[in-house]
Amino acid sequence: MKDRIKYDPYNLIITGVGGQGNVMASRVLGNIFSAKGYTVTIGETFGASQRGGSVMSHLRISSESVLSPQIAKGQAHLIVALEPTEALRVLSGYGNENVKILCNKRPIYSGGVISGEQTYPEMDQLQEWICEYAGEVWFIDATDEALSRMKNPIFGNIIMLGALAATGSVPLEREDFEAVIEKSLPESKIGINLEAYDLGYAMIAEN
Amino acid sequence: MEILGSKELMEQVRSKGLCTTCGACVDICPYHQSHKGRIALTFDCDIAQGQCFAVCPQTEFDANELSELMFQVPFQNLPLGHYRSVKSAKATDKIIKGNFQNGGTVSALMMFALEEKWIDSAVLTGSKELVPEPVMADSSEDIAKCGTTKYMATPTLSLVNKSAREGRKKLGVVGTGCQMKASASIRSNPMNKDEYKDAIALSLGLFCTWSLDTREFLDYLKSRVGREQVISMDVPPPPAEIFVIKTENGELELPLSEIREMTQEACATCPDMTAEWADVSVGAFEGKPGWNTVIIRSQKGEEWVNAAVEAGYLVLDDLPDESLDHLIQGAGNKKKRADNAKHEEVQ
Amino acid sequence: MNILSTGEKGSRHLLMGNEAIARGALEGGISVAAGYPGTPSSEIIESLAKISKDHHLYVEWSTNEKVAMEVAAAASFARLRSICVLKQNGLNVASDFLLHLAGSGVRGGMVIIPCDDPGALSSINEGDTRHFARLLEIPLLEPGDFQEAKDMTKWALELSEELQTVIMMRSVTRLSHASGSVVLGDLPEFGAKAEFRHEGFLLDPNEGIVSSAPVEIKHSQQQEKVKKAVEKFETSPFNTYTGPESPELLVITSSACNLYSREAINILDVKDRVGILKLGTTWPLPEKLVAEHLKKCEKILIVEEVIPFMEENLKMLAQELAPQIGQKTLMGKRDGYLPMVNELNPDLVINAISKILGIEYQAVPEEYATGTLQKTFFGAPVREWIFCPGCPHRASYWSINQVLKLDNNQGFVCGDIGCYTIGTLPSGFSTLKTLHSMGSGTGIASGFGKLKPFGMKQPVLSVCGDSTFFHAAMPALVNAVHNKSDITMVVLDNSGTAMTGFQPHPGLEANAEGNDAIKLDIKSVCESMGAYVKESDPFDLDNTREVLFEMLEKKDGVKVLILRQICALSPEKKGKKMFEMAVDESRCKGEKCGCNRLCTRIFRCPGLFWNKEKGTSKIDEAICAGCGICSEICPIGAISKKEVTQ
Repeated sequence: MKDRIKYDPYNLIITGVGGQGNVMASRVLGNIFSAKGYTVTIGETFGASQRGGSVMSHLRISSESVLSPQIAKGQAHLIVALEPTEALRVLSGYGNENVKILCNKRPIYSGGVISGEQTYPEMDQLQEWICEYAGEVWFIDATDEALSRMKNPIFGNIIMLGALAATGSVPLEREDFEAVIEKSLPESKIGINLEAYDLGYAMIAEN
Repeated sequence: MEILGSKELMEQVRSKGLCTTCGACVDICPYHQSHKGRIALTFDCDIAQGQCFAVCPQTEFDANELSELMFQVPFQNLPLGHYRSVKSAKATDKIIKGNFQNGGTVSALMMFALEEKWIDSAVLTGSKELVPEPVMADSSEDIAKCGTTKYMATPTLSLVNKSAREGRKKLGVVGTGCQMKASASIRSNPMNKDEYKDAIALSLGLFCTWSLDTREFLDYLKSRVGREQVISMDVPPPPAEIFVIKTENGELELPLSEIREMTQEACATCPDMTAEWADVSVGAFEGKPGWNTVIIRSQKGEEWVNAAVEAGYLVLDDLPDESLDHLIQGAGNKKKRADNAKHEEVQ
Repeated sequence: MNILSTGEKGSRHLLMGNEAIARGALEGGISVAAGYPGTPSSEIIESLAKISKDHHLYVEWSTNEKVAMEVAAAASFARLRSICVLKQNGLNVASDFLLHLAGSGVRGGMVIIPCDDPGALSSINEGDTRHFARLLEIPLLEPGDFQEAKDMTKWALELSEELQTVIMMRSVTRLSHASGSVVLGDLPEFGAKAEFRHEGFLLDPNEGIVSSAPVEIKHSQQQEKVKKAVEKFETSPFNTYTGPESPELLVITSSACNLYSREAINILDVKDRVGILKLGTTWPLPEKLVAEHLKKCEKILIVEEVIPFMEENLKMLAQELAPQIGQKTLMGKRDGYLPMVNELNPDLVINAISKILGIEYQAVPEEYATGTLQKTFFGAPVREWIFCPGCPHRASYWSINQVLKLDNNQGFVCGDIGCYTIGTLPSGFSTLKTLHSMGSGTGIASGFGKLKPFGMKQPVLSVCGDSTFFHAAMPALVNAVHNKSDITMVVLDNSGTAMTGFQPHPGLEANAEGNDAIKLDIKSVCESMGAYVKESDPFDLDNTREVLFEMLEKKDGVKVLILRQICALSPEKKGKKMFEMAVDESRCKGEKCGCNRLCTRIFRCPGLFWNKEKGTSKIDEAICAGCGICSEICPIGAISKKEVTQ
């Protein structure tokens, strides 16, 4: 454990919409910190949530013990949002004025928004609200980048992990990521995932 | 009159049993659709003002405005509606023989209009395995196939909407009183839509005292004639009080009272026996088999009939005074019955 | 490399609760595992199926939970160890057999693992299966964390074999679907031999017949076994106490609530005031152990999910113990400190403890809480469940709904459990009007179809999925055919158990282990029952509509329409578009069209949204699955589809 987590336990929430690769991102992160010697607890819901619902993974990184798979209200240290309105939703439950947020700007419309029964907020407004209730915020266009550079929106989640490393919020290195995906993914997929990771890293590091 | 939307159409007309199944609202949009003689709303639509409401013959309307448009006179509440003349008529041998009711006047007028380019296509009611359905006729052969009376409510005007969407113009429409009223409304283009401008060039009304609920009558028909091929159906003039079904194996006479029970609900309150909002209306000539009664209403209608006679499609004769009186009396009675029915409803 | 299979003794891994249970079953020496898919339980069987060859296991997705239980029981009768895995609903299905199994006893260790879903995160009920333990009179265990999930599974198998009774180990979503650190144990040598002995003395538990009769004898034997279990529970390492010698408040808890309680005590910083008695053996309660802890203090809070099961049992026990330990105050759900519906979480426990101890607690400043709540209300639209882009069910319901509306006879559809449950919501055009357990849509329809003599004229339809068809709809269909009920059953066949992750079922050519299996053809099954059967591709809207009309027209008897199209998320389809979709902005007339935004307002596929600036609809390339259906429904053909050459 060369780099320490800033709080113990460190409470990280990955949020998004079913189908965005939320669970995969939380598993990868969990395995990274587990490999570093931390005791990791992940709480998540999936199953029906794949059908257009909000999904949330609670990651708890501790040097001591297994923890509740649900973080208590107001106790998040970092929120990784794969969808911007989901960042807002998580803030209202688990946020606090010091929370850090890394947020993908690509909206995913709910059924109600598609049908016109609900409205999706303007992006500027949304960003303003998120900033108002967080300590430090990074916005990136992860999905758009995945679409334009990698021709597949599914890499948005890995781009976000690369970006997370670049924010320096948690001790996360490229070799940690590489070591974990080498164990969990077929060899043919390693290169493209590293590419996505690097793309995300650069989006934060170069700004 | 205020134009409202689909929601109000449902509230004011359909849910009250006032829908005549004319078809004017069908196929305008994906919401009002018809199936086997009934019209349904497939999904809720929240548009505030719609063509569906505007052209429905059962929503509130400005009679004067419509009368000025069709006949260039203010509305007068006459038993036969506005007319220029009433004649008797029948088709000549010039027209393609079809299986038509009475004198073939409707077929003759439509064939003339089509062949002489007064219209580009005719919107008629045909049938497919007994189920009546709207038919777009582009030739006299097509018209000849639609000559018989169906007695069943059919959303024929849906074809006007379909062809308007396809950009067709100059249609000739044949239909009953409610359908003529809707056609007149469509001609007034209340929503000011390009596709409905000049969509209908001529409308030909059919006398109608009632129209049967298609599904009920089809079930009845199946139970009476089984798998036999029905050739035609007819209501002989009073006092016969029978309904005659001609099949490949002969004729079947049924009590008219039994048939009338299957009349669709909305017909009870309809005051219009002679299709008052048409250019020309045609019905049977009771007492002179093989001839029709023709009511010439609009100026265009008069020109149309005269031209058809001149071109040899049709012959005209005067209508005896007592026949006219009889017709006026019949039409007046329908108005009275409608008034009473409405009154009963209120009570 | 699969950690469950190759992980070495003493090594530590991040495992999902379900994976920990699977590993525990391996360590406990099972030979057979059977179950029926159901969230949150499915990964246990899935994990074992993947490694079945390496560990000489037989792993089966059974037709339904009752059969799964019977398959697992057979292994036990043949002196092998086995587990049966299901979700809370499944235990109801299996319960008829279970009542017999409790009486007959088992030979090889057999553990039932129901995974409950407090809060109904992936269910339409939050049934609490713990009550079955009392009803069936079998020992109940509940792991309190991930390590225990593994260790307890192994212990339960051993205990079951020793006592010769089936044992129930209950998990919940927040354990099954959460992950935590687990230190692995030893894997046993395999090589257990199956033999069913049946020639011995009638009542010989090892060599006689296996039956719950004669009831009086077998029932008393079962109660004796339960008593023996309690003796073991008194000293079980799964029952632990943490806290001061004489706490102000004693929290008695189990399962995931153990973790919430610990969290609450940490956050409130009351470790020196509140103790936790975490019970892993929750029925029957270990009386001596409980008495010893109840003595410690006057106030006791019981923290559990969902209904007050432990609370009631503890209250009964406390009353019996009162002369000995004095009258105690037991708090929990019955007095409202904790809710009786929904799942718990650390905050609910914080709330209860702080109330009892008189502590002021506020998670975040009031201003922050109301501010974020308001912004969320305005800025984060609620996400209801919707069908995925490219889902065949959307197309199926589109046709069913249209046909019923046009038929105009107030026809309706009875449904059940699966992705197609969304048919009750706007995404399925609110087509489903009854929603109950698997197969019940067809059973209910069968009943409705016999109500004509009472004046009911409405057409009756039911829907069920392909896996559900085999699970519980077949008997309902038999009933409808035999009794000449007038119904139309629509089988929404998407070639897999899609909701829970594409587990195979009897209609497919592979089994859980990926081996060849006999495929049962739904059409032939229905036809052999005497139903009038047709098939259609739900993506062929015209044909589907026509066939549905035909079925409604055919008034008498049972009609079955099989709508077959593979799920958009299935491995063979996912990420592959059939069509490249585009909205022709020059043709889409937007608000002026008169279609009233049919494609987005009504059809509401996530792959299509309304472009406010342009006033037209637009394909969202990141989401669209390219099924092509939206191009069929646009009344003016403004949505084009171009076949994608693979």
